[in-house]
Amino acid sequence: MHPLIETAKGTVDQAELYWSRRHMISVLYQNYRLQQVEENDLSSVALRVIEDGRLGSTYGVFPEGDKLLDDARTAARHGDPATFSFAPTADYPSVRAYDDRTAGVASRDLIDLCEAIKERIHKELPDIPLFIRCQAEDSHLLVESTEGAAGDLRATDHTAVFGAPFRGVGTAIIKGQRSISPLDVDEGLVDEFVEWYRWGDTTSTPSTGRLPVILAPEASFLFLLPLLMGVSGDLVSKKTSPLVDKIGQPILSEKLTVIDDPLADGEPGARPFDDEGIPCATQPVVENGVLKDYLVDLQSGAALGRPSNGHGFKTALFGGGTETPPTPWFANPAIEAGEESWRDLVTGLKEGLLITNGMGFHSGNYPQGQFAVQAVGYHIVDGKVVGRLDKTMISGDIYEDLRNVRAVSRERRRPLTRAGTAPYVLVDALQVTGK
Amino acid sequence: MKEKLAAIAAELPAEYADIRYEENRKVRILYEGKKLSEVASTESSGGHVRAYADGGKAISSFSDPERAGPIAGSTCASASLAGKLREKKLRVADAPTLADAFLLSPAQDPRRISLKEKLDLVAHYNGIILGEPDVITTQTYYDEFDSRRVFVNSEGSAIEYELLNCGIVGFIVTKKGDVVQRVRFAFGGCEEYGRLLDREEELKARIAKARELLDAEPVKAGVFPVILDPSEAGVFIHEAFGHLSEGDGLQNNPAFRARLQMGTKLGRPVLSVSDDPTLEGRPGHFVVDDEGVRGVKTRLITEGVLTGRLHSRETAAEFGEPLSGNMRAVDAHFTPLVRMSNIFIEPGESPFDEIIASIDHGYYLVGAKGGQTSGDQFTFGSQWGYRIENGKLGPMVRDINMSGELFSTLQAISMVGDDLAFGERGGCGKGSPMQTNRKSGTGAPHIKIDAVTIGGV
Repeated sequence: MHPLIETAKGTVDQAELYWSRRHMISVLYQNYRLQQVEENDLSSVALRVIEDGRLGSTYGVFPEGDKLLDDARTAARHGDPATFSFAPTADYPSVRAYDDRTAGVASRDLIDLCEAIKERIHKELPDIPLFIRCQAEDSHLLVESTEGAAGDLRATDHTAVFGAPFRGVGTAIIKGQRSISPLDVDEGLVDEFVEWYRWGDTTSTPSTGRLPVILAPEASFLFLLPLLMGVSGDLVSKKTSPLVDKIGQPILSEKLTVIDDPLADGEPGARPFDDEGIPCATQPVVENGVLKDYLVDLQSGAALGRPSNGHGFKTALFGGGTETPPTPWFANPAIEAGEESWRDLVTGLKEGLLITNGMGFHSGNYPQGQFAVQAVGYHIVDGKVVGRLDKTMISGDIYEDLRNVRAVSRERRRPLTRAGTAPYVLVDALQVTGK
Repeated sequence: MKEKLAAIAAELPAEYADIRYEENRKVRILYEGKKLSEVASTESSGGHVRAYADGGKAISSFSDPERAGPIAGSTCASASLAGKLREKKLRVADAPTLADAFLLSPAQDPRRISLKEKLDLVAHYNGIILGEPDVITTQTYYDEFDSRRVFVNSEGSAIEYELLNCGIVGFIVTKKGDVVQRVRFAFGGCEEYGRLLDREEELKARIAKARELLDAEPVKAGVFPVILDPSEAGVFIHEAFGHLSEGDGLQNNPAFRARLQMGTKLGRPVLSVSDDPTLEGRPGHFVVDDEGVRGVKTRLITEGVLTGRLHSRETAAEFGEPLSGNMRAVDAHFTPLVRMSNIFIEPGESPFDEIIASIDHGYYLVGAKGGQTSGDQFTFGSQWGYRIENGKLGPMVRDINMSGELFSTLQAISMVGDDLAFGERGGCGKGSPMQTNRKSGTGAPHIKIDAVTIGGV
């Protein structure tokens, strides 16, 4: 038991400790040149207490233990009545999240990986300002409570991200790979980068109107994040979610199944317990278009009159971390694959869009399922990519427009560090603002 | 601590190295609806090292101050390793050494206000919102950041300085039928606690807008002439142009460097833009940056022509341009980045009524709602807007996001108002991992843009 929990046991009604230590090495190349080597060794701790029935929290980096407890107690004196207890003793599922080879990665290894990616792309596209960031992280997380929770997780994370702005403009194409184990160059990903970069040598602006749109895995956040807000127990308990009282009802196309899979062994994002010490479990969120359940943490569970289902995470739309209060969030979302090849989805379109990113997402009314973003991607005419989208916006409402999904690809990818695993999704029509 | 770190920095095997050590304190109070969701008072400390050795660069963040020496040493070794792999060597521009203290003493110092008093103030504003019809929930958030920093470098600079800001920001959430709307409000954003007091009437005006929006029509998609209010115009110039004036973004992007040579005509003569950290009471005010360089006003665009750029010591050396003192980190977990301080469009001569009267069919867009930029592409939202028909304001519209390309949009700014106003609360996200910096302010008068793409129904 952590000494802070030991001390808290005799002092306050209940206490919960979140302690994290991260050792991270990162190498950054810009315009094909090694720009910077970074190494961080950071630890931090968050403490929540319940005293005289009131909740208080605090956070610190290397503070004295007593000071941290005092700060939390001060906060509790002014806090609202606690509506829940901290996590009790639990048996956590066994999940493989650590590879000691990744823990042993040195900056020289990351430079070698960057060099391999650089060399591979330089052969094809020598005149682009390619950036590469390769990073290895070894982290240790403890979540303990006076009620008996004792989560202890060692995890590793290896990422490689590379990209470049299209010639003469700022819009960039970015590809990424992520694993708990050491990475090699993903030849398929590099080939795709080169192909997609070259597609961007010309631009095209579609006419304003409703057009079929393929959302690439990189763009899956356009509907996963509004869906996350919709299924958040927090928003549901406040009645601001559009999915209140919709469990068991169809909310998306029957072609869409979304599960949160924290128990996916060996995958980045694998977690045996959440940031409140509640055991994680694989959870269907949307099954064949039908809403199966909400994501619930301790606080929203209390408001909804049900237990947490292990989705309290210290994360946020931007950032997150030790000082962020737990809120319902996906651990490791995955959209189930379909049967068609994504290239067949492209060739089957008379006119449409392939979307790889959407800029300005957070300015929209996404908690209600809506988005209106600058479209980053490609214009498809007669089954072929005719150019990179220029001066184009797409907008939609996931609970209306994603009722009509024509197809889901069999290929899936984990596009970037914080997104889940997603296929290509062909939506029947979205509003496109172009010419 | 300063003397100990200065002794370490002086001995480091590097062409240049610096160490920043911080003790930070935060207060956070959050009401969500009737519920006081969070009361937290937090403390943290930590350090950050940067080293340039053999023409390479390495950085490191650490929690334990006892390890500052070994970490600084290994950072120099990593920089040397990186330098040996670079043909073109990195270096920093010359800067004056500084040995001084820059401490803050606001008239109403939030550090001297009790937690109870802050709680009561947040509860008061939250209660006003909840008392209005159609309001279904709120987020009313007080945050305070108090940072005491020590900066030393291998050239002999040794500086103590403080950063302090407090603010109340929130969302008013209204609902009628299936329509849910969120309107943002913000007070403060500087070191003066007094800015947060007596704001009830402004808050009520915001609540009225959140209610009106429930009956507003969704904006129509298309390309339109628009007028941006000072809040929107400030965010526009920050997102669309300001990020491209940051030297680190351009440093390794040959295409944009070529397009953004000093003297390039970027807009019409009505357009002038500056960045100014010396504006006291604005969110982006500071005296010295996190590289030990004094912040100065930079004229970025003068009568339509590019005349200045924001720099670190590294990018100033790379571009051969003057230092601006814009190198800043949100805390010791992060390395400093080149960031805007208070960026603003200088006032023009057009009265607001004249700008409205110049549009036959377009929109007047009000209230910044965040934005995003990628090189020359930008997207940002408005909290609400109004149709303009035949030179007159029409019905209210909602759910507005717009996008465009910087260079053509700057050229399309055809009128600049005479009513410069600054936003109270700052904010900017940049970097990977993202650093969300509250100490970044924006300002502008009303401006007219002849054509902007709006995404809507």
